Amino acid sequence: MLRIENCRLVWPDFRAEYTLTVAAGALCAIVGPSGGGKTTLLHMIAGFETPESGALSFDGQDLLPLPPAKRPVAMVFQDHNLFPHLTAEENASLGLRPSLRLDRSEREAVVDALAAVGLSGLERRRPEDMSGGQRQRVALARALVSRRPLILLDEPFSSLDPALREDMILVVDAMRRHRAVTILMTIHTPDEVADVADQMAFVAEGRVVASGSPAEVMSRPWSSDRSA
Amino acid sequence: MRLPLPHPGSIVAFAILALVGGSFIALVTIDGGKPTLLSIGPYLFRVLVFSLTQATLSTLLSIGFGTALALALARRRFPGRDAVLAALGTTMVIPGIVAVLAVISVYGRSGWIASGLSVLGWSSDASIFGYPGILIAHVFLNSPFVARIVLDGLSVVPAEQWRLASSLGFTPGQSFRHLDWPVLRAELPGLASLVFLLCFKSFAIVLALGGGPGRATLEVAIYEALKIDFDFGRAAWLALVQIAVCLSVTLALNRAFTRPPAALTTRLPAARTDRSHRALKRVDVGVLIIASVFIGPLLLSVLSGIAFIGAVLDRDVAVAFATSLAIATAAAAVACLLALALGAAARRARLRSRSPAVAAFYDILPNLLLAVPPFALTAGLFLMMRRFVEPAQAGFLLLPLINGLAALPFAYRSIAPRQFIAEERYGRLSQTLGLSGWSRFSIMDWPMLRRPFAAAFALSMALSFGDFGIVALFGGAELRTLPYLLYERLGAYRLDEASAIGLLILAMAFCLAHLSGRMSHAAD
Amino acid sequence: MIRKFVLAAGLLAISIGVAAAQSRPVLTVYTYGSFAGKYGPGKLIKDRFEAGCGCELTFVTAEDAGSLVGRLRLEGESTKADVVVGLDMNLAAEAKALGLFAAHQADVKNLSLPIAWSDDTFIPFDWGYLAFVYDANKLPNPPKSLKELVDSPNGPKIVLQDPRTSAPGLGFMLWMRKVYGDEAGQAWGRLKPRVVTFTKGWSEAYGLFMKGEADMVLSYTTSPAYHAVAEKKDNFKAAGFTEGHYLHVELAGMTRTTKQAALAKSFMAFVLSEPFQSAMPEGNWMMPVKDPAAGLPAAFRDLVKPSKTLLYTPEEVQQNRRTFTDEWLNATSR
Repeated sequence: MLRIENCRLVWPDFRAEYTLTVAAGALCAIVGPSGGGKTTLLHMIAGFETPESGALSFDGQDLLPLPPAKRPVAMVFQDHNLFPHLTAEENASLGLRPSLRLDRSEREAVVDALAAVGLSGLERRRPEDMSGGQRQRVALARALVSRRPLILLDEPFSSLDPALREDMILVVDAMRRHRAVTILMTIHTPDEVADVADQMAFVAEGRVVASGSPAEVMSRPWSSDRSA
Repeated sequence: MRLPLPHPGSIVAFAILALVGGSFIALVTIDGGKPTLLSIGPYLFRVLVFSLTQATLSTLLSIGFGTALALALARRRFPGRDAVLAALGTTMVIPGIVAVLAVISVYGRSGWIASGLSVLGWSSDASIFGYPGILIAHVFLNSPFVARIVLDGLSVVPAEQWRLASSLGFTPGQSFRHLDWPVLRAELPGLASLVFLLCFKSFAIVLALGGGPGRATLEVAIYEALKIDFDFGRAAWLALVQIAVCLSVTLALNRAFTRPPAALTTRLPAARTDRSHRALKRVDVGVLIIASVFIGPLLLSVLSGIAFIGAVLDRDVAVAFATSLAIATAAAAVACLLALALGAAARRARLRSRSPAVAAFYDILPNLLLAVPPFALTAGLFLMMRRFVEPAQAGFLLLPLINGLAALPFAYRSIAPRQFIAEERYGRLSQTLGLSGWSRFSIMDWPMLRRPFAAAFALSMALSFGDFGIVALFGGAELRTLPYLLYERLGAYRLDEASAIGLLILAMAFCLAHLSGRMSHAAD
Repeated sequence: MIRKFVLAAGLLAISIGVAAAQSRPVLTVYTYGSFAGKYGPGKLIKDRFEAGCGCELTFVTAEDAGSLVGRLRLEGESTKADVVVGLDMNLAAEAKALGLFAAHQADVKNLSLPIAWSDDTFIPFDWGYLAFVYDANKLPNPPKSLKELVDSPNGPKIVLQDPRTSAPGLGFMLWMRKVYGDEAGQAWGRLKPRVVTFTKGWSEAYGLFMKGEADMVLSYTTSPAYHAVAEKKDNFKAAGFTEGHYLHVELAGMTRTTKQAALAKSFMAFVLSEPFQSAMPEGNWMMPVKDPAAGLPAAFRDLVKPSKTLLYTPEEVQQNRRTFTDEWLNATSR
């Protein structure tokens, strides 16, 4: 279980204080207006931002003292997930071995992960020769091979067109079912995840304003007109 | 049938080639059309070999040292860092003679180091004339510039990739390999060929610090042909040899390092993960100390002119300052507009017509312009235009034009890559929206180009501000720039006032570099 | 920001254009930079000439004598130059060959010049001998002859100018040739170890010397006068050599293409008159070709007076320069 309790972050022009609990193995969609602090929440969990006070733990382990690399967290960004000079396979391998020196079983795990996101046969492609959707799948495969139980997805599919987005959400859903991972995903089109998400959290002005089942959160009157 | 209008970039490229080619022909045929031919004797051959060697060494050292400095600066934050960055942008602009005197003040027989040693009771007969002096001067002038450009490049690595690096637990070596090295591979070949050209052509510095005519550059022979022999044809042929050498070096560098695809962002970088690594911290502190020990005293010796600033601030200097500013502004406009047109053509060749060879031609053309001796180009252009323009007015046209052409390679470096990114990001979108011509430029390009354009403008201004080259021929009572005044005072024994004017040039360059730095670092 | 710069540039261009439009006849004088500069004699000469000519005198400058000839060659018949001030003997033949100069018709008898003057194209306006300048506080016993300088393996270090790019550099190469004749090559070989470097121009060499990099620098016998008058320092001296010194003469000429022939002619006469000549010693730091009525300034009276004047004619220089330069290169470039 992921527990966030009163984690406070302060900048000259922005302050945030998050409290949120996500069950193990759940897919939690994080929605809310842009600039409301969705990405900051993920960055804090991943360790890119350190809260001034509060508590952050996953499965009973305190995350705050850990550097990003030691946290049980894998992250996929909206853009620039891949290194342009590496192939799809190499990019995914980074999740397992940043040195890129893999033994046979590790290599097989990478090929499997690429297959799991539907990229069999594209192992040797470079990012410039892949579509936007394929690139994001490579990033998902990297998150998978890293075997970290908590995966954070920051607007992972917002630059893809709607049909492709639906496909990708199904891939994410399958990932969760087969690999027993907890997933937090920010998204600005809540309707698209309503069917697969177990939980939805509405974040605005640096706070988790509401959290519950997707149906619950989306039925509140303010959520529809403020989620841009 | 209507022919498609040629791209403005190809018109510019054609115009540049025509200008250079035309002035070459004008020079070769000045004596009634019987072209002179060139023979290269054993001396010129030796000079060529020496030029190649010293330029190669200078380039390797400048690039190596500049890159180490850039990495150290990218990793470290300290008070006064902004001022250091602006200072890096100024050394390039230092007039040759000022650089020579700075090197002598620090490393000379009676320089600071020798005096320091003699206080300690040591004396040394080591002379800096020859390779040491030449390399010190060239590395002093060029490596800070290299550091500055590389640092700009490093700072556009996407923040996401640095977060990824920290999340995946990259070692400093892995960060270098996946984050820094791709940037270096993209930046260094062009930068190296630029530095090579500057050193290959370097003339006053090589003669003054070389120690003998065995250590000279081809530019000396060109100068001799133009100003002593008045054999303009020979000068043109020698210039052609110089262009050929520079072209081969540029092509070889471009072939050795094909430009890799790079993901660039305009966002501010996240904190680098390798900052906290202990050994790296020591390396960086070491590099920064070496840099300040090497560059610091040389810059300080230029600052010694400050005592005489009061003595030179008069109407002459004010007018020269305004003239320099006006010429620099016009030159920067020329450089930036040409860079814009060439960059657009290169981008079209690379992305739309998928012809990297043509794109490479546009990339190389600005650098090649540096290989053309400005004096020969000026003379040639003047011969071409003297039928249409009064000689007295020629200077007003030629100064901004030649200085602009000289600044073009620098402007091109900061403008063209951004045009490329703009097209990659919004090219398809603007195609679907049917944007073209001016609206395409103002909606798609300009928002992304505004800052690099302003940065390039300031840098071009700084370069033109320090340039003496062609004022030598076309200066005059009405066209006196600050570098011109500097040489005029030297000619009248006023070494102190010359050093003060040198400092004024440096101060102006500092302000412009600061401006240019803020433009290139600020987030869009 | 940028817009303001462009505006400023535009205004400047306009104001220059307006200033250029006036009614009085204009005499255009081409000269080198430091002649018309702040410390040069240019301003004085402009004022003094304008006082009597009802005209305006404008200077157009190039870096040095070589650039002047280069510019004239580029401009050809369309040149705006009426008079050119600042050529030298070594460039005279090349300048004459341009075919742009007219006979000066001035009276060149009774000049206080070490040689008799008979050229009818150019008139000399000042002169000086080449000499090695040193700081007497640091070098108490300078060489007394060129041979002593060349043949003292432990003698003073000197800084010279490259004869391919500099007028005094060329002058010293000719000086060596005058003294050593066909043996000049070997003499260069013996001198070479003590030559710190051959710089591009006089300024670099003098700068290196003043920074203490060499014991002596090739300059003019008149250089110490500058330090004595302007800096009140008398420790800088020129070394007198027994073989004699090479002469440097600066020349003026009027163009054939001038549209102000009468004005140009009167300026040529003005060059040899008291108002012009009296501005030379402390304006250009050279000897005048006519002694001022009040006599030379004190600092110029006790300068080195060579026993013998060494000089090649412009034609000899033109014919032999290439050969001499190659000889110099062979001896010094290894």
